[in-house]
Amino acid sequence: MVTNEQQPNAQAKQSYASGIKPVWCPGCGDHSVSMALNKALMELGIEKSKVLIVAGIGCSSAMPHQFSTYGVDSLHGRLLPMAVGAKLANGDLTVIGTGGDGDGYGIGGGHLIHMARRNIDITYVVMNNEIYGLTTGQASPTSMMGAKTKSTPFGDIEYPLNPLTLAISAGATYVARGFAGDPMHLAELIKNGISHKGFSIIDVLSPCVSFNTLNTYDWFRQRVYKLDQSHDPTNREGALAKALECEESDYKKMPIGLFYRNEKPTYSEMDMVIKKGALIAQPMPSGEEIRDVIDEYK
Amino acid sequence: MTSINVRIAGANGDGLESSGALLTKVAARNGLHVFAHRGYQSIIRGGHVWYQIRLSEQKPWSYGDGIDILVALNQDAVDYQKSRLKDNAIVIYDAGKADVDALDPKKYRLVPIPLLDIAMKTSGDAIMRNVVAIGAVMGFMGMDIRELNAVVDSTFSKKGQQVVDSNIKAAAAGYNYEGVKKAYDLKGDGKGRYVLDGNTALAMGAYAGGCKFYAAYPMTPATSIMHWFAAHEAKGALFKQAEDEISAIMMTIGAAHAGARAMCGTSGGGFSLMVEALGFAGMMEAPIVVVDSQRTGPSTGLPSKTEQADLLFAMFASQGEFPRIVMSPRTMEECFKAGADALNLAERYQCPVIILMDQYISEHIESVEDFDLGSVKIDRGKIATAGAGGGRFKRYELAADGISPRSMPGMPGLEFVATSYEHDEYGDLVSDVRSGIDEHVEMRRKMNDKRMRKIDTMLKSETIFVPNVVDDGAGYHLVTFGSTTESATEAMEILKQQGISVGLISFNYLLPLDKEKTKRILSGKKLIDVECNFTAQLAQVIMLNTGIEIKNRILKYDGEAITGEELAQKVKDAIANFK
Ligand SMILES: Cc1ncc(C[n+]2csc(CCOP(=O)(O)OP(=O)(O)O)c2C)c(N)n1
Ligand code: SF4
Ligand SMILES: [Mg+2]
Repeated sequence: MVTNEQQPNAQAKQSYASGIKPVWCPGCGDHSVSMALNKALMELGIEKSKVLIVAGIGCSSAMPHQFSTYGVDSLHGRLLPMAVGAKLANGDLTVIGTGGDGDGYGIGGGHLIHMARRNIDITYVVMNNEIYGLTTGQASPTSMMGAKTKSTPFGDIEYPLNPLTLAISAGATYVARGFAGDPMHLAELIKNGISHKGFSIIDVLSPCVSFNTLNTYDWFRQRVYKLDQSHDPTNREGALAKALECEESDYKKMPIGLFYRNEKPTYSEMDMVIKKGALIAQPMPSGEEIRDVIDEYK
Repeated sequence: MTSINVRIAGANGDGLESSGALLTKVAARNGLHVFAHRGYQSIIRGGHVWYQIRLSEQKPWSYGDGIDILVALNQDAVDYQKSRLKDNAIVIYDAGKADVDALDPKKYRLVPIPLLDIAMKTSGDAIMRNVVAIGAVMGFMGMDIRELNAVVDSTFSKKGQQVVDSNIKAAAAGYNYEGVKKAYDLKGDGKGRYVLDGNTALAMGAYAGGCKFYAAYPMTPATSIMHWFAAHEAKGALFKQAEDEISAIMMTIGAAHAGARAMCGTSGGGFSLMVEALGFAGMMEAPIVVVDSQRTGPSTGLPSKTEQADLLFAMFASQGEFPRIVMSPRTMEECFKAGADALNLAERYQCPVIILMDQYISEHIESVEDFDLGSVKIDRGKIATAGAGGGRFKRYELAADGISPRSMPGMPGLEFVATSYEHDEYGDLVSDVRSGIDEHVEMRRKMNDKRMRKIDTMLKSETIFVPNVVDDGAGYHLVTFGSTTESATEAMEILKQQGISVGLISFNYLLPLDKEKTKRILSGKKLIDVECNFTAQLAQVIMLNTGIEIKNRILKYDGEAITGEELAQKVKDAIANFK
């Protein structure tokens, strides 16, 4: 649960909040994620109209409505390709993806690995509650072995997916994990993710207080600890080792913070069309240019 | 019609297509009309393939029935093609590679040429044997070999002088081979023509129409659209290969939403994957264009063969109801026009537009006099002006014509959330949390009405949603859509020469349709429906819109396109048994 002193100080700069009443249950981790994202945007001070928040479908995907920026609720699992299209069309936009673990690691899992290897400058925040919240509590790809859910009443017999090792090995250039119980820390991770040039993913342990009775705030608090100076995020092998720690420690230790960061050219920096400028700003072809391409067929 | 059908047959990997392309270009430069089509299997090497080129003094509307000149590169070519030979056909074959004992030398002119030997001698490359053969074909056609040299030069100069030289040498050896003499005399009209296939025309037309973003995942027969955009990226339209078709259409929606004119393309299998997103575009009112180049289905079907069996699928794909436009170009000129028109309609009505192609129109080659660049006009529809929001921007304002001015991310003061959920004028959810509250129930109805009103607006503002009629007073009328229209045109000409008067009613647009006008056009005529599918999907669409049942049907679903002669014969049968 988020306590008062953890609330980001929203006084100083202009808020990006829409003021629309959230649909989330009281106590849902997604409230904190929303606050953390707002804080990150406020600190960066990006022009409101230049921010596009693209969501999938799920409780977590209600995020765009909490903001007065541009937003999209797209389809379940499909926010990443939608975000790619928008970012390629207008590189001046700050594009942020928000979704759930079912959305991003289940139905949309196929897109994630390609997103990672493409290194398009998009920041992806996954609210990982280890459950399907909106559909009232079925097992998700990150649900733990043995977890009793509505779809696994006798305990889940699939091993959970590790989104961090997946993202690091697929080539993501900024891989972090935050905890909804520490929104200030999370805001920092999101802010740095947005500032990072390339694809950033921030997996957020964001408890579902209504349907996940196993992975509660208390459960996470007993396990979560912050990566410190001793972790070198530029070392990929070290990052993978840290990302494996949950599993290796049988979920007794769950590090949060920045696991991995790498500077690589982004897709847009290499694409021959976008290099010339935002797609939407480029002129329509002239009569001569059209004639030129037709003449190839004579 | 004075025309000659040349068919080159061999194995996949023999390079028939590039040599065939040389012949089509030479002929088109000489002012002849060209219509070419290939038959191939979706394997890369081996397998029987053929490439038929019809050279003609008048505009042909199909690749022609029967063979006047056969180039047989292997035994299969003789065995599989012999039944199509016309009397007195010339058969060029490689004496070492194929025997023609089965062919009656009194009926056909058998011309053995050591194609492989000559190829090896002139260029050291076996693939050149079909260039040798093309040289010989040009000799029999009495064409000027210098024209070939010019085409070879412009086609291969990028690959270096050596490639140019060996092509020219190989062709000359075939052209000058003993016994090769002018046997046919086609006269060109001196007009230089373009030669290209439907996918190329479509891609170029979309580019001309300001398409800035094309996304796709490879799938025959739509793949060559992707190849065109990839090869022409420097011209300013971004091509993005996606990880699957769901991603391709979502990227397209993203790009369109952000303000770039955007299109994606696939065949039926990929279109099936796109369906959920198609409905999303309908709900959020995103202006996207989707190309479905149909192949023989269902499922993986016949990957390199044609069919028109996705019509109803394209019209109805997705849960729920929303306005969309479905068009099916009938000619090369219409393929070109389709790109710009579809992008305009998509942005004008803020809805998905589907262009239905098929393997036949996507991949067959025709000569075209020119494209009407003057007809390419870019209309980006209603766009909100900055500041129009005042307080909060009503992106989905309940406009009288159903079309609410849109804003794009990046425009200050016009922020909103686009959503796949039902929403109010601001884009705020009218979801089940407010279920049963009168005001929100009412909003759902109003918002759905608003979207659906766009159909009325389209029908009122556009004149395109009716079929075209040729020869209104004819005794019978063929009814077609898309690619079968060209074959029907040829069948009409053949029948006319035989004194049988048949007209044509063809559909370029299939959804929406102006019901009243369409009914008026079809009423009181003796109609014969011609389609490449089993269930007469166009006839079903006509029934649905006009109540007119077309009982006389010519349906083909064996994967091959219907040709003019074949159709003319079937029309005669249909007339004889008219119900
Ligand atoms: C194609 C499709 N399948 C299923 C659904 C139903 N559905 C909506 S949200 C959801 C799961 C949500 O889980 P998650 O992504 O983890 O989000 P959460 O609600 O937990 O935040 C499902 C299965 C859907 N909307 N679309
Ligand atoms: S169901 Fe769970 S995830 Fe959804 S809003 Fe409630 S607490 Fe959050
Ligand atoms: Mg979840």
